[in-house]
Amino acid sequence: MTQLTVEDLHKRYGDHEVLKGVSLSAEAGDVITIIGSSGSGKSTFLRCINFLEQPDAGRIHVAGEEIRLVRGGDGHLKVADAKQLQRLRTRLAMVFQHFNLWAHMTVIENVMEAPVHVLGLSKAEARERAEAYLDKVGIAKFRDAYPAHMSGGQQQRVAIARALAMEPAVLLFDEPTSALDPELVGEVLKVMRALAEEGRTMVVVTHEMGFAREVSSQVVFLHQGLAEEVGAPAAVFDQPRSERLRQFLSGSLK
Amino acid sequence: MIEWSVITDSLPQYASGLWLTAQLTVLSLAAGLMMAIPLSVMRISRKRLVAGPVWAFTYFFRGTPMLVQLLLIYYGLGQFEWIQGQWQADNTFWLIFREPYGCALVTFTLNTCAYTTEILAGALRTTPHGEIEAAQACGMSRVTMLRRILIPGALRRALPAYSNEAIFMLHGTAIASTVTLMDLTGAARNAYSQHFAPFEAFIFAGLLYLTLTFALVGLFRLAERRYLAHLQPRKAIKGPTT
Repeated sequence: MTQLTVEDLHKRYGDHEVLKGVSLSAEAGDVITIIGSSGSGKSTFLRCINFLEQPDAGRIHVAGEEIRLVRGGDGHLKVADAKQLQRLRTRLAMVFQHFNLWAHMTVIENVMEAPVHVLGLSKAEARERAEAYLDKVGIAKFRDAYPAHMSGGQQQRVAIARALAMEPAVLLFDEPTSALDPELVGEVLKVMRALAEEGRTMVVVTHEMGFAREVSSQVVFLHQGLAEEVGAPAAVFDQPRSERLRQFLSGSLK
Repeated sequence: MIEWSVITDSLPQYASGLWLTAQLTVLSLAAGLMMAIPLSVMRISRKRLVAGPVWAFTYFFRGTPMLVQLLLIYYGLGQFEWIQGQWQADNTFWLIFREPYGCALVTFTLNTCAYTTEILAGALRTTPHGEIEAAQACGMSRVTMLRRILIPGALRRALPAYSNEAIFMLHGTAIASTVTLMDLTGAARNAYSQHFAPFEAFIFAGLLYLTLTFALVGLFRLAERRYLAHLQPRKAIKGPTT
């Protein structure tokens, strides 16, 4: 079943067109990694999917339902129904580069927050769910700690547990290891690998080429706002067709 | 020579003055904080029509001395015939403004509310942007985000600045004595005029204020330990607690 489709997404900042029509389709269990040099628009693309950025054109379906959009008086695309967007956002959980945990809440409160106050679960159900996912990411013993008292890798694993607790259709990862010290990257990638093996649908913006090659079902190489090359990891990494991708890979695989 | 009898003779008055001072402080702080929470949310609104009136309110109350505000409300309002009419008609709400107690409480509440609104608005503005995005990304509505993320975070960040405001407010209530109220300062003035021993009369009031201040500081220290635990240096992580 198709969990997420993005059709012909455009986004511009003033005169600068960041995305010039990018499409993507994720079936259940797909792991799609988006690679590209900085400024290629890959984070913007991911953030347009759940409307943290407003796309200028395009269509997005989440779990079979299209996000309804209208064109406002100023010509910009707007969400037609804020309630629908909120509902569909619960199906698209996001993991951020800088974790973005809520600082005043403990680990378990962070993970329970949205299930209780957005999905409407009882505290007991949410606690059970939170404990299960904290256990899965290997952070259960920190349940009563505050984010500021943990390492970046631990915080990111909490953020992953927080995303999982929504039991979303698709997990969006926005450069989840880019803000981490090199020795902490492994623990986060290990968790993400395990999630991929469980068959979770994931869209991952990353600079981790090893992860992209081994885990993804599809790799998208973004260059100057276009999907320059799309394909299975073996094809993209071993037989790059475009000169741009060859240059990018020789730069990143060093 | 210290004349102890000045203090001992007036002890009951000091006690009731202390009680009135504590009452005015606690009631005005509580009411001021309650009103400041919604006002601070309006204050940071991008809509001028929403933020403007709150800005005008805080600008007036922070820009004029509290004594002038008190005199304006206590003496000033009675000048208007419409208000005198309301008094004659026994309109309960407006009768508040005939009593010095009501006038002092309203003045202090509005004054602390203005300062607290600005403190909270500043704390709301410094909410890390990532926390807001995380709330949006998991489908929170604006109201839920305010209630669960923005306001709880801001109240905590505002705590150190707010504890100063609370202490200023405690000391500020001393001007209640200018509108005939027998608060702690009023009691001291009374003791002074009865015995003509100003040093004893006022030093004792000063000591009582000091005690109240320390009690307030202690309360805020407890609150900070509890609510700002996430900003304090890391403690050893304990194992599972259940």
